[in-house]
Amino acid sequence: MFPFLRTLTAAMIMLLLLPAAASWAAPPPDAAQVSVSLQWVPQSQFAGYYLALDKGFYRKRGLDVTVLHSGPELNSMDRLAEGTAHFATTFLTSALQRRNSGLAMVNIAQIVNRSTAMLVARKKSGIRSLRDLNGRRVSLWAGDFTVPFEAVLSSHGISPGRRFVQNYSVALFLHNGVDACSAMYYNEYHMLYQAGLDEDELITFPLEKYGCNVPEDGIYCLEKTWKATPRRCRDFAEATMEGWRYARAHPEEALDSVMRRVTSARIPTNRAHMKWMLEKILPGILAGPGDAWKAGVLSRSDYARAVGLMKKQGLIRNAPEYHSFHPMGAGNVQ
Amino acid sequence: MFSRLRIAPRLALLTLLGCTLVLGAITGSCYLFGSRQIEKETEEKAKSLAVGTANRIETVQRGVEKVVRASASRIEDGERSPERVRMILSRAVGENPEISGAAFAYAPETTSGGMRLAAPYVYRSGGRLAFKDLGAGRYRYDVWDWYTLPRDLGRPVWSEPYFDEGDGGALMVTYSVPVFDVPGADRKLVGVITCHVSLDWLTDLLRSIRFAETGYAFLVSRTGAYICHPRKDFVVRETLFSAAETNHRPELRAVARRMITGESGFIPLRNLVSQQPSHMAFAPVPSTGWSVSIIVTDAELLAPVISLSRSVALVGIVGFALLLLITLLIARSITRPLRELDAATEVLAKGDLDAPLPAIPGNDEVAHLSKSFTHMRTELKRSMEELRATTAAKQKIESELEIARSIQMSLVPRTFPAFPDRPEFDLYAELHPARAIGGDFYDFFMLDRHRICLAIGDVSDKGVPAALFMAVVRTFLKAIWRDEESPAATLRKLNNELALDNDSTMFVTLLCAVVDLRDGSMRYACGGHNLPFLISPDGEVHQVRRLKGVPVGAMEEMLFEEGSESLRTGDVFFLYTDGATEAMNGAGELFGDDRLEGELKRCAGSTGMKELVQGVRGAVESFADGAEQSDDLTLVAFRFTGPRRF
Repeated sequence: MFPFLRTLTAAMIMLLLLPAAASWAAPPPDAAQVSVSLQWVPQSQFAGYYLALDKGFYRKRGLDVTVLHSGPELNSMDRLAEGTAHFATTFLTSALQRRNSGLAMVNIAQIVNRSTAMLVARKKSGIRSLRDLNGRRVSLWAGDFTVPFEAVLSSHGISPGRRFVQNYSVALFLHNGVDACSAMYYNEYHMLYQAGLDEDELITFPLEKYGCNVPEDGIYCLEKTWKATPRRCRDFAEATMEGWRYARAHPEEALDSVMRRVTSARIPTNRAHMKWMLEKILPGILAGPGDAWKAGVLSRSDYARAVGLMKKQGLIRNAPEYHSFHPMGAGNVQ
Repeated sequence: MFSRLRIAPRLALLTLLGCTLVLGAITGSCYLFGSRQIEKETEEKAKSLAVGTANRIETVQRGVEKVVRASASRIEDGERSPERVRMILSRAVGENPEISGAAFAYAPETTSGGMRLAAPYVYRSGGRLAFKDLGAGRYRYDVWDWYTLPRDLGRPVWSEPYFDEGDGGALMVTYSVPVFDVPGADRKLVGVITCHVSLDWLTDLLRSIRFAETGYAFLVSRTGAYICHPRKDFVVRETLFSAAETNHRPELRAVARRMITGESGFIPLRNLVSQQPSHMAFAPVPSTGWSVSIIVTDAELLAPVISLSRSVALVGIVGFALLLLITLLIARSITRPLRELDAATEVLAKGDLDAPLPAIPGNDEVAHLSKSFTHMRTELKRSMEELRATTAAKQKIESELEIARSIQMSLVPRTFPAFPDRPEFDLYAELHPARAIGGDFYDFFMLDRHRICLAIGDVSDKGVPAALFMAVVRTFLKAIWRDEESPAATLRKLNNELALDNDSTMFVTLLCAVVDLRDGSMRYACGGHNLPFLISPDGEVHQVRRLKGVPVGAMEEMLFEEGSESLRTGDVFFLYTDGATEAMNGAGELFGDDRLEGELKRCAGSTGMKELVQGVRGAVESFADGAEQSDDLTLVAFRFTGPRRF
């Protein structure tokens, strides 16, 4: 059987079984069966969801949660649209695009409130500034993930010579097939490090420094789901945030939880990488002392900036009012 | 530390110490050269093993590459229908046992109904070939590296290894070749042909590589990911770099960078399996950019050298034991006569000079020493005899001297009060010779009923000659004085008598005085003697007037002046010899006239002359503070207590 097909199938089956295996006590009989589609393969990016599940934060709120994973070939928003998942996570920019193209959905929690996406290039290739990417070969994630990158490139008037679609790996960049690739600081950047590229060999262009500091992962559900079961949506968001707080307080336990899923899903990664990811993503999720945003909340100004940016780039034409996009508003999730 | 030990153990110990240093140096250099040699050999061996393994991998992979490229050429040449493609794939898999499966993924066609994916796939299943279309279903091959990398790079690519969940989790790697429609710049992708190869044979091969007991081999991909490693949990998941990160080993990262850039080498490092110091040889597999490493722990690498060194050390230790025994025996044979001699001398030292000394034969140093001892004993005995005789003689002389002293002392009047029936004066005198007998003397006698003669003298020498001379002087003095009556005339006559035939050129300082007890008038003459003091009852002290006069007995026909003083009631006439003024303390200071005068003032109020004399003598003694008395000391005190009333 062809390898990757197997990989994926096994991962999907395993993930369906995970909640049952992880919950040592059966959920109460009247527990609501809900599913969440996370936008990528199992990794520390989702430690909060795993811990909310493992530590029973969902269950104590009467939620029997199934975690699904997605990727380049299976978009989590598609699951939402198809109705195969109650909740789904994605970048804010992607969500706005979806909403613009007619998917009636709302944000029930903004998980990652800072941009950690970046473009990475080898210094050796002569790239010293963002402008140097003009005419160069650049690989960008496909679909919803591409939005913030396109926003930065077009707002700086940069047109790469050739674009490549970037998927799960950074192999093309490692093979010198492209001069720059997209990367999350917490993930691909460190993958490059673990493939032997030293930090001083690389030059990075964090999107937040190029006018695109827009929030990333958020939890979404269809508008009708929100209207029908607002309490459930709120509970799900709150339990997830509790999971994140627990992850910050117990990083090793969080890593154990992540590594269990990584191993089961046969993701070719390692604990060192997951540790890096957890450490780098947490500051964007749980606000520190000088942060202007609030954990779990999409701030009005961030929303406005994202909408403005995307409209300017012609990526969207319409955007809903802040409150109809993020009906829980400020202060509702903690 | 060694000086506390006896000779035999010291000799043995020092010999042993020297030998230990030599043996240490031998063992050390043996180890060093041996380990270098072995390291060199191991380097050769490990390197060739690594290169050999790399070549074997390369050979298999080149074979696969050839098959896949040939298949790709056929498709490129126009055999693109699904049926033809399936046939080509079946052939590739069927005829090449190392290929587990092959697929041809058509470039997706965008149609009005969405994207159409088609990828015929032929694979081995239960010993037969099976078929399926990867494009059917949800699997999107166009997002995976095996398809996208050759497409985007435009050249064949070996994938990173991965686990296939299908056939029992076999480790797989794929080789993908893009197929283009038109060669050149505007070429259009037709699809990607890929074959996947199980790496189980590779895992077995590397596992079979044993370098000593704990040595092992491992293989990493071009990004440093482990392909084969004894720690199975490392494979695919960990990379050399993640291992370096997890173990906080930056030096491992540096090595890993060398490995993935196609270098080869032999380096020391701590291995990640047992964490022991080890050496690693690594060599690249050029076709895939992989790197093969052989690791051997230093403990095992150096085991032969260590065992050799151990043998050398063991032989050395046995040798030491023998050496120690022999050294001890030799040392003891040398020291045995010494110890006997030591015991004998101990008896000798206790005074038993007749105790036998051990007879030591031979002509070595110890025998010489023994002979010297015998000689020494004989000499000692002889000198002891001499000493005994000398001591006896000396004792005889001393007893004679003692007698002489008592005779000398009996020459001066020593009974006090000397004239108990004479209330007009109080008189007291003391003589302390510096040696057993001295050259000082004093004398007093009644010239007639009313006059008393006082004399004090100091012969120019001390000891027996001085005493004899003094006896002569005293005898002459008393005889002459009774004739002459005047002190000056007495001295002149005495001088002439003594100077006559004075072969020994001895002389005497002399002071003579005559006191008339009726009125206290005193006449005196001085032959070079210290001037006496006059002390009045109110404490005034002064010396009598200095008169012409030289020491008596040196030259004939000398003249002596005569002086007079008038003693009032209570006046003290104090005579002394230079033993008082020239008494010396430890610091070499003299007692001196001033101190004597001060002392006399202090003692002026003494009730009796005995107290006065003893007081002055005490002052001189305490001044000398135990320093040896250098000269005879004579003190005479005379107090006139007024004429006799009838």
